[in-house]
Order: sequence, then C-alpha cells, then structure tokens
Amino acid sequence: MHSKQEHKLKVFWLQGLTCNGNAHSFLNLDYLGELLEKTEFLQHPLLPSKYALSEMAECKTGCDVLIFEGAYDPSLKRAGVFVDKILRHYAKNAKYIIAVGTCASFGGIFKATSPQTNSGILFNEAEKNGPLQEYNAKIINLSGCPVHPEWLGFTLNMIIDRRKIVLDEEHRPQELYSSLVHHGCTRNEYFEWKVDANHFGEKEGCLFYKQGCRAPMTHGSCNTILWNGVNSKTRSGTPCFGCTESDFPRTNLFETKTNMSIPADAPVGVPKRAYLTVTGIAKTFHIKRLEEPLIDYKNNT
Amino acid sequence: MARTTKEERKNGIISAALELFSENGFYITTIPDIAKKVGMSVGNFYNYFSSKDILAKELIMYISEYLGKNIRAINESDISTQEKIEKIVSMYFDTAKERPEMIEYFLRVYLSNREVFKDGCEGMICVSPFITEMMIFFEKGVASGELHDQDFFSAFGLFMGYLGGMVFLYGEKILPEPLDDYKQSISENIYNALKTRT
Amino acid sequence: MITKTILEQIEGEASLYFDMKGNIVDFVTIAFPHFRGMEKMLEGKNAMDALVITPRVCGICGHSHLLASVRAIEDAYKNSDSVVEITNKAAKVREITLVLEIIQNHLKWIYLVLVPHLRELSESEELLNTPLKGAYGASFATKILAIFAGQWPHSSYMVPGGITSDFTYVDLTKAKSHLQKLTEYFEAETLGASVEEFLSFESCKDFAPLESDFAKIEQLLIDLEMHKKGHAKDTFLSIGIHEFSHAAKVKGTKLFKVASKYVETQDAYAPDEKSYAKNALYKNQFYETGPLARCMAKEFKLIKNMHRRFKDSAYTRVMARIYETAYLLGFCKKLLDEINISEASCRETIPLKNISGTGEGVVEAPRGPLIHRVQIKEGIIKSYEIITPTQYNIASATKENPSPAQQAMLHCSQADAKFIFRTFDVCSVCTTH
Repeated sequence: MHSKQEHKLKVFWLQGLTCNGNAHSFLNLDYLGELLEKTEFLQHPLLPSKYALSEMAECKTGCDVLIFEGAYDPSLKRAGVFVDKILRHYAKNAKYIIAVGTCASFGGIFKATSPQTNSGILFNEAEKNGPLQEYNAKIINLSGCPVHPEWLGFTLNMIIDRRKIVLDEEHRPQELYSSLVHHGCTRNEYFEWKVDANHFGEKEGCLFYKQGCRAPMTHGSCNTILWNGVNSKTRSGTPCFGCTESDFPRTNLFETKTNMSIPADAPVGVPKRAYLTVTGIAKTFHIKRLEEPLIDYKNNT
Repeated sequence: MARTTKEERKNGIISAALELFSENGFYITTIPDIAKKVGMSVGNFYNYFSSKDILAKELIMYISEYLGKNIRAINESDISTQEKIEKIVSMYFDTAKERPEMIEYFLRVYLSNREVFKDGCEGMICVSPFITEMMIFFEKGVASGELHDQDFFSAFGLFMGYLGGMVFLYGEKILPEPLDDYKQSISENIYNALKTRT
Repeated sequence: MITKTILEQIEGEASLYFDMKGNIVDFVTIAFPHFRGMEKMLEGKNAMDALVITPRVCGICGHSHLLASVRAIEDAYKNSDSVVEITNKAAKVREITLVLEIIQNHLKWIYLVLVPHLRELSESEELLNTPLKGAYGASFATKILAIFAGQWPHSSYMVPGGITSDFTYVDLTKAKSHLQKLTEYFEAETLGASVEEFLSFESCKDFAPLESDFAKIEQLLIDLEMHKKGHAKDTFLSIGIHEFSHAAKVKGTKLFKVASKYVETQDAYAPDEKSYAKNALYKNQFYETGPLARCMAKEFKLIKNMHRRFKDSAYTRVMARIYETAYLLGFCKKLLDEINISEASCRETIPLKNISGTGEGVVEAPRGPLIHRVQIKEGIIKSYEIITPTQYNIASATKENPSPAQQAMLHCSQADAKFIFRTFDVCSVCTTH
C-alpha cells in the first residue's frame, strides 16, 4: 500500500495556443500550498517543476494527470516538438486528462483565429470531434475564460481522493456547471421584477435586458464560488459573456440580442412562451423600491 | 353533472354580458339587466361574479384567452410568417363577424374604460395570453429573417391598430364591401409594412 | 557557430540564437514562434467587443490591455467630436486596478522567475526557493483588484464613460484592509523593512542592515557582478499617462518630452526562424521600457543613485522592479483614500454606432508602454493594432543597431546572458498577440 505522502499525483501542465490566463488563474487558489503538498508538477508553465518542458517534450515519461491549456493547433510546437505528439504521448497513459479553460474545452478565443484547424481537445465548439476522441472517457472539461481556480482545485482534489466526478454532456463536472451563472447573482431581484439596468455603473438593475448578460444562459458557478474569493462579473456590473459555453466568444457582447424588443434567448430550460408571459405580467408592476437607488450617498453625506 | 351546468351557466353570463356591454356600454348596463338576459335572479348572479368590475375583468381575460389560443395554433403551425399574417387577419375578422361582441368589448369597453381595469388588470395582466402570442409571432418572424427588427409596440400597434380600425368601420357599417373581401389586401399591407427591408 | 536555445517560463517561450566567440556572446537574435492573430480577429467586430477580446491577449497583464482598449475607444469618441469625460472616481479606480496588476506581476516575477534563476546561476542555497510567496502575494493583489473589477484575470469592467462597478463603503473598507495586509506581507517577507522606510532610502548603502529576501537578492546580484553586466542602451521610455508615472523619454539622466505617435513597428530580424514578433521603436530608435524606465522618468532618488553608479545594469533593472513594487503599494493606499464614492461610476455616452474615427490608448503596463490603436467606422472596428512593451525590450534587430535585450546580452557568458534576458521580464504571449 502506498500512502498519499509516498505517491504524489504526477501532473503535467501542457499548453497549446494560449494567453497563459488559466495558469495564472490557478495561482490565485486559496489552498494552492496544500494542493501542492499532494501533487508533483512534472512541468507547469509558471511553477517550479521537476522537469523542463524540453525534457517532457522528449516523451520518455508519463503522468497521472495531463492538464491541457489553450486551443489545440496541429501546427503548434512547444520546445521544438509538435504539441500534438506530446499531447498524444501523455494522454495515452494518463488516468485523467483535464482541459482547463474554454480554448482547451471547445476552441474558445484561439479557435477564432484559425477556425479551420484549431479546436478543443475533445470538442470543436459544440461538436464532439476534437483530436482526442479515443480518450473520451477520461477527459474532463473545465471551461471558462479563464478557468476558475477553485474549479481546478476541486477536480484535482477529487482525483487525489479517488472520488467519482459526475460530468454533464459536455464533460464538465456537474458540481461546478449544473447551475447557471445567474444563480446567486446579487441582481436577481431585478431580474424577477424585470427592472433593467439602464446604464453601466449602477448596482441596481438587471443586465439581461440591454447589456447582453448571458448569465441565465450560461452554466457555471461564478456567483456561488466567487472569483478571487470576493466578487463576480455581474456583481461588479459587468455582463456575463457566456465564457464557459462552447459558443464563446460570441459577438456584440455588450448588447442583448432582441427580435422586436423581445430577447432572442430565454433562460436555459424556460419555454419562451412561459418566459414572455411572466415577463409581461411582472413588468406591469412598478416596484418603487427597485426603481430607486439603493443607497443615496449624495443626500446623506 | 351539476358542475358542468354551473360552468355552462357561467359561460351564459359571459356571453350575455359581452353582448350587453358592447351594445349599451359598461356604465349603462346593470347587473339586473344581465341577470334578466340569462334568466337568473340577481342574487344567484352574485354566486358567479361578486361585482360588475370583476365580471368586466373576467370578460377581458376570456377574450384574451380566446384570441391567444387561436393565435397560438397559428404560431405553432409550420407555415411562413406571411401566411401566419393572413391567418391571424382572417381569424380576427371571422371573430368580428361571428362573435362581434368580443371585439366590440375589447375596443369599446376595455380600451375606453381604463379606470375599470386599473386595479388588478393593469398593463398585460388581463391580456397576457393574447399579447404573449403576438410577441411569439413577432419574435419568430424576426428570428427567421422574414420581418425586420424594430420596437415591439411599433409593430404591434401597426398590426392590431389596423385590424381594430377595420372592425370599427365594419361595425359602423361604413365598409362598402363585405369584411372578407378585405382580408387579402390587408394581409398584404401588413406584411409589406413589416417584412425585412432589402 | 550559432546555437539555438529555447527559453521557457516567460509567459510562453522564445528561441534565442547565440552567436558565440569562444565562451562569450558575440550576438543574439530572438524569435517568438507562436502566432495567435488577435488583431485580425477584432476586425469587423463591434468596438465594444474589444473590451472582452483584448484582455485575453495576456493572462498576466490583461487588465492593462483592457485599459488600453477603453482609452482607445474613448479617444475615438473624442476624435469623432464627442468627448467622453470620466469622473475622478472612475479614473482613480482604473488606476488602482492597473497598479494592482503591476504589483501582482512584480511579485510573481520576483519569486517565480528571479529567485529560482538567481539560485541556479549563483548555485547559492542561501536564498530559498519560495514560489508560493509570489503566488500568495499576487493573489492578494488580485483579490483587491477583483473587489472593483469583478475578477482577475480577464475582467471587462472598464467601459467608455467609466467603470461598471458601483462599489460601496463595505467594499472600499475591505479593499483597504486587504491592501494593508498585502503591504505588511511584502514588508515582512520581501523587504525586511517598512515600505515607508524602504522608499526613503537614497543609496545602496542603506540596504546594509536588512536581512531579508531583498537583501539576499541584492547581495547575490553583486556577487554575480550583475551591476557590471547587462547594460542596455541607457535610453528609456515611459509613455502612458498616469498619476503614478511620468511620461518621458530619458537619455542617460536627461528627460525629454514624448509623444506616442512616434512609436512605430518593423519586422524582427530573425534569420534562423520565423518570428511572429514585431520590433517597436520610438523615432526609429530602441528604448528600454518597464519599471527601470518609469523609475528614471520619475527620477526616484534611490534608482537614480544606482544608475549613477551602475548605469542600466541588470542589477539596476532588478532593483527598479522591486522598488516600484514598494512605491506602488504606497501609491495604491493613497488612491484608495482619495476615492469619493458619491461620484458616478460611469457617465452616459452616445451610442458607439454614431462613432467613426481613429483612437489610441496608451497605458503603462507592468513591462512598459502598451499601445492600442483602433479605427472605427460607425461603431465597427476597421483595424486594430497592439504594440506591447516586450516588443521594445526584446526586439530582434541587426548587430549594427541591437535592441535593449540584444545589447544587454553581449560580451558575457551564455548563462549570464539568459539570466539578463529574464531581467527584462519577458512576456511572450503579449509579444505574439
């Protein structure tokens, strides 16, 4: 029997076409120190590692978990070796392959630059036809631009503890992606009563009607597992851009797509007829409390 | 069977009230008038509707549901937006001919006596099934590329205002031709006004 | 004989082609092999989308890209006869979050780049490898940043007219408390002195009583003679307009006026490999950018004193980055104290679809001036150009007119040269946007 101390989880963090955002996001993890006690990075783009990337690129060793960051680009080389070759070598024997970020999961931003060739490792946007099909069963997608550090922390800890990670159809852990970003948003009361935010820079109002907020259509736990432990996009008045979904990045990101003033998309799973009925009725009521500033600094200072 | 009878009697009150309200107006029509027309006592009437205002609201909801149900069937059929317009126009005019009290009530009572409906029937509350279906119709039309994108109420006003105006002229017996004769040209006018501009 | 070395852990990688004379570097060319095409991707998009796309150029300085982007769009408003005036509050918060991004960058650089490579080069065990110190400090800085910006990395909280966040005194109090803790952490773990005391130092002699990571770093640099190596061109450039910096061109110690319009790019000289980086020059000349350049333009006594003695050596460059971290912590506190919460976060602007014109946004990013240039027609991006600080520092040019990094690596061993290369704090992803 090996104790956990004796056998640390061997992790190789490999990068495709990336901005490094996931690697940096991971460094924000509150319990990074504890996690690093239980893992050994054979190679990480920022953290001290057992091997140099050039050594890993020789493809002579193996890892328990292969983390892939960035879009898959068949022409890309790392340390002078095709990433495709490195990826396939380590994928073969790894117990798990984690695609961190939306680029690795679906293609994301860096698919947009070369849509003909680039993709995620398992998915190409919503289509499941990426290059690592044969390892389908062990791929976990942690989409998000970037990945939330706690999403990755959770996943690695589940693997270390040998617990089963329940995935959704897009291979994302249900624990992290079953609810919508809308869930836990501090503006929910405004959504309920259909009070729009008329412009940016106010804590009042919902960003769904005019500012393009995708939170009711986006899977993720941004408003329950807060970013940097303190906040989220929507709480700070920025619309959700739907960065965990396979169609990220969309266009006209700060505008709500409407047809004859009616939102083109209803919240996930809500029939448009039901949504419009509730909306129309809710809009009828004018809730004075929700139409006024919450705090009046000007007249009380 | 008693329950069915009660339902039928309620529908009887609705039909009678619609006719009286649309012929004589909301304020002139009294509860005894309605009770008399359905052949029940005033006391019994109150078992169905506790006041004239509540009856008025129930009526508009009844009409809204009736129109909404018909438009929903059109929305859910697999036809072009232009054909949907024809069907909506046709349905509306047929209603105006066969059950003129419904359209009359909408135009002469609901839209003309807003004070009656201000409490509990404001905005979309009582007309939600109808407006929702019109929203679905317009949204689908724009999403499919057949209609041009604009403000909902600009489009809604154009469509329903036009139909309401024609039914008014028909009710006043000003139209020289039968209402059916206008279906096609009006449908075309509406479609031309709303269609995608190239 | 030319030998190729691939350098990692520089926010990506770069290929260095060393031309050696014996054991001494005679010349180096630099190639950045990865291409991502961010500028092209923006063409035809709604200009507001740039606020979401451009931060994704870089995982470590995306916030600087956001500010450059919003400034470029606001400049296009101005050039389209619709001046956008933001409130003091919005201006200060934009500055605070930018400064915090610079702080997190520097903390990571000290503990994830400088310390390990200094240990390796000196073979000294005295300086402990403590990467988590950098990560922990940096995550503290980004926590404060996120109180205003929602998250880090990849926030899009700056919009034309101001900022999206409407924070409260509760948020502000939390931000101040975190900043206090971060400052104390940096004082205890890195400096071994209070920020106030450290900033009052006027010469290297004042470091004598310190026993800290900083003191060990300083001593190792001297032991390695880094005060005599790594000299670049002794010309510096700071262009971004900020409260914490001073825009100037510096030659030796003389300051000159500067205007961003003179910044141009040219193809890199990389005969051995296709490079996707372009060189950035000011009036056709190379300048060093980043903390040392900013400290010289701001005429900080301690750094000027170091410069007088050691010129723009690798030592001075490293010291300037640590000094700037201390300076910015103090500066950030000042800014937080100055915020008037009752001012508007964002002012209304006319819709972007009414805007046609060009705009430029210039920002001092962690590594120096970051320029975004945009051409907008009726709210749609016609063209977008990004010029990043690493394009000045790590340009690859000919032997006759080398870039700052090329110059700095000359006439020393290959091991020294690689270390010196890293003293510029290279950002590969930004360079190959």
